[in-house]
Amino acid sequence: MVSDIASIPKRFFNTLSNLRTGILLLLLVVIAAALGTFILQRPVTDADKLLAAYPPTTLRWLDRLSLTDVFHAWWFLTLLGLLSSSIILVSIERFSNAWRFYARPYRKTDSHFRTGVQTKVELPIRRADDGLNAADRVLQKLHWPVERIVDGNQTSLYSERHRFSVMAVYVIHASLLLIFAGGIVDGLFGYSGYLMLRKGQTGNVIELRNGQKKVLPFRIKCYEAGQENYADGSPKKWWSKLAVVQDGKEVKTKEIVVNDPLVHRGLRFYQASYGPTGVEGVKVVATPTGGTAREVMLRLNEPVELDPTTTVALAEFIPDFFIRDNQVFRRSDDVVNPAFRLEIKKADSNEAATQWIFPAYNPVGQGQAADYRFEYRDLQMGYFTGLEVSHEPGQWLVWVGCVLMGVGLFVAFYMVHMRLWFVAVPDARGKLVLWIGGQANKNKDRFEQKFEDVVESIREELDRASIASRSACKEEAMLTLAAVK
Amino acid sequence: MATRARVVRMETPATTGGNALLVLVGLGIAFLLITALLAAAKSGGPLFNESNLLYVALIFYAGAGALYMGFGVTGVAKYVKFASVATAIGFTANTLAVAHRWYLAGRPPFASIYEMLLSFVWTVAALTLVTEKKFGVKIIGSITMPLAVVCVILMQLLPSEVRPLVPALQSTWLHVHVTLAMLSYAACAVSFALAMMFLIKDRFPTETFLALTSALVSAVYIAIVATRFERWGGLSVTAWDAKENSEVFLGRGVRLFVTVPDLGWLFVMATVASLVPLLFYFLARVHKNAACYELANKSIFIGVLLQVVVLAAFVLRVRDASYASPYQEGLYATSLAASPFILGGLVTGVFASLLYLMLLWRRSDLEALLPTTDTLDRVTYKTIGVAFPLLTGMIAAGAYWANRTWGSYWSWDPKETWAAITWLVYAGYLHMRITRGWRGRRAAYFAILGFGVVIFTFLGVTYLLPGLHAYA
Repeated sequence: MVSDIASIPKRFFNTLSNLRTGILLLLLVVIAAALGTFILQRPVTDADKLLAAYPPTTLRWLDRLSLTDVFHAWWFLTLLGLLSSSIILVSIERFSNAWRFYARPYRKTDSHFRTGVQTKVELPIRRADDGLNAADRVLQKLHWPVERIVDGNQTSLYSERHRFSVMAVYVIHASLLLIFAGGIVDGLFGYSGYLMLRKGQTGNVIELRNGQKKVLPFRIKCYEAGQENYADGSPKKWWSKLAVVQDGKEVKTKEIVVNDPLVHRGLRFYQASYGPTGVEGVKVVATPTGGTAREVMLRLNEPVELDPTTTVALAEFIPDFFIRDNQVFRRSDDVVNPAFRLEIKKADSNEAATQWIFPAYNPVGQGQAADYRFEYRDLQMGYFTGLEVSHEPGQWLVWVGCVLMGVGLFVAFYMVHMRLWFVAVPDARGKLVLWIGGQANKNKDRFEQKFEDVVESIREELDRASIASRSACKEEAMLTLAAVK
Repeated sequence: MATRARVVRMETPATTGGNALLVLVGLGIAFLLITALLAAAKSGGPLFNESNLLYVALIFYAGAGALYMGFGVTGVAKYVKFASVATAIGFTANTLAVAHRWYLAGRPPFASIYEMLLSFVWTVAALTLVTEKKFGVKIIGSITMPLAVVCVILMQLLPSEVRPLVPALQSTWLHVHVTLAMLSYAACAVSFALAMMFLIKDRFPTETFLALTSALVSAVYIAIVATRFERWGGLSVTAWDAKENSEVFLGRGVRLFVTVPDLGWLFVMATVASLVPLLFYFLARVHKNAACYELANKSIFIGVLLQVVVLAAFVLRVRDASYASPYQEGLYATSLAASPFILGGLVTGVFASLLYLMLLWRRSDLEALLPTTDTLDRVTYKTIGVAFPLLTGMIAAGAYWANRTWGSYWSWDPKETWAAITWLVYAGYLHMRITRGWRGRRAAYFAILGFGVVIFTFLGVTYLLPGLHAYA
């Protein structure tokens, strides 16, 4: 029994390190992810829409099974975790063999090996050295690295290219794990939220995705924000002029646009949206009786001092008004026919004088007497800039992983590990030949073409060498002849 | 000996009736070109603009498709050569269309689904020519050309004016991302075609192709009938506002449907007709009765005729007509542009059935033209070997771009998720092939499945699943 219990983790690991388990996990992840796209997901859908889409019982079950938030569900994360473990274990299991192959390539050319090689050719030669030297020269010319292998009394040549390509598959899997690791780091330590700023406003509280608030260790000030349109009225560009304020000092400023965020201390601020907040205030010209006119900006319930004893405030703003029984009412929320109520206060009294401005009829304020005359100038519209804020400390792991994967895939698919062996041996009939064998780990047809080319060059080299040696012989004979004469 | 006999049989009809179709297709192309030329001249617009060029490409692709089909019916090998020439001409026109649009917009044409289809068709045609010339898979066009024609027809219907880019799309990464996507999807399409070729060469039973074809066609019709059949036999289609050049919307994202009376019954009939061969197929399987296969093949032939009727009826009744809507009073205009997917489905169904008939009638000739199964298997693997790194690069570029735009490199958006699923399916293929030694049929099935997922990611997700990836 004891051994049985002890073997459970071992069995678990054995199962997990099986490639078939890996493929099964991959299939499960695919199915779960597909479900997550077919079923409406809570984080990106309004609650009403979900209620409308599914009957209550179904929705309850979907919620209970976390099918309305698949990508954050514990079981989905577990699946991803198991898949990564499977990748690690399968890789480890295969790695030792692959490493042995990589670290100690088979260089020898014994007869057993020679029969096993698929691609091979025999060229007749006169002396062992002739053949090997010719092969050596050709390989040098083609920039293949050559090694001379001495095995007992037999000398052979070994040459290979792109041996590292056999390790590419591990680079790919490692890069995938790196990407996962980046995702995990961001899941644990990263956050993202939203910061809405009006022009001129400073803020440091962001609203996180889950509705909580987070206070940043510095403040962001929005100086200016705007939108540019194409001729047809569709938006072309949104921009905001931002500044980072730390301990009361501006440490950084940047004008951000949609694809170009502001980065400060690992936090990135993206231009996410831009739009009107509505009417922010009204600009009026206040003229004291017998004095000089002055333009003032009135915001709702923010008193403005006109002189040391008088203040004025915008007490009420009605975007679309109508009058019945001498009372002002609101017809709609569209700013088509606005009305403003001003309150003018004197320092020495509690009473406030009230004046109404109806710009569509008369730009001058009407109502109780005050020492000032108010004339409407302009509506002040407010605009906000919506900033997406995100902190993703793990993203660099992801990018490194992506680059690594690109390199790994390129090497794995397009770099071929090619090996060549050369040895001078007697052939089946006992005549001396140069035996050439070759092997490639992929793209075999292309390799065979290349192999043919190398063999052809060696054949030519051998011919040339034999002609040269023959002519050398002839020369020697002539010299001897001359000497005799 | 057997091969020689086949070759002789293939060459004999070439001398007699072999030129008839060539002349016919040639005349057809000439006629369409002249009408197009006259129309362009009459409208007074520039002759060589993008839409005219695209039309020329469509004519030649369709001509190539017709020639491949003609080869299927008559077995004249010469047709394949001419089809290849037609593909090359269509490709040239397509290239010019892409170039003109690029020139007009001042940016590569990758911003909307229309422009992406434009680049996709271009890449498919390019890869078809490469596979033909380099690997000797001569009749690959018989699958990729109908695909190109379906895409070009879809494009004729989608809004095509050059639109300025919304802020999120103004990025170099857009071009990187979309170029990689188009290249890899096109490579996936070619690998799909090659896997089909492999199955044909590998003596995959014709009966199974029969079952698959009628299953595909039935699926298309059942989907249409299930979602669009209205009471009293109508068919509901989206209303179209010609002035706005868009669908009529009731509210945000809610399209207005109108009912075309009586058209629904026709679709029901076609659905039944497409299910009949499937029924006979199963009867044949259960009773081991070859006569049922005969019946199934006959009923597929009848089914094709009915499908053509449905297509014609749909085009005639939906194009520029007005119908009442059950949701809102008044008559609303309809247009083919409002129902690109019904139309695409119908055209796909007709093509799939015709391809099957071609296989049924000319299987031995097709096989004679194909390289060995080994070559096909290897070339399929090679195209996936091209597609997979590109797919990886596409996802990585998309993630990097999303990170710059939305502040997050991965947000499990449906498009992203399906791109990841596509990647995982092909990763599964590679693992099975490399470590488990999956060759031949099982690998071919995987390649076909992979392309199915690609199509869903490319088109299905855009129109069925809502998400951030709203541009395409």
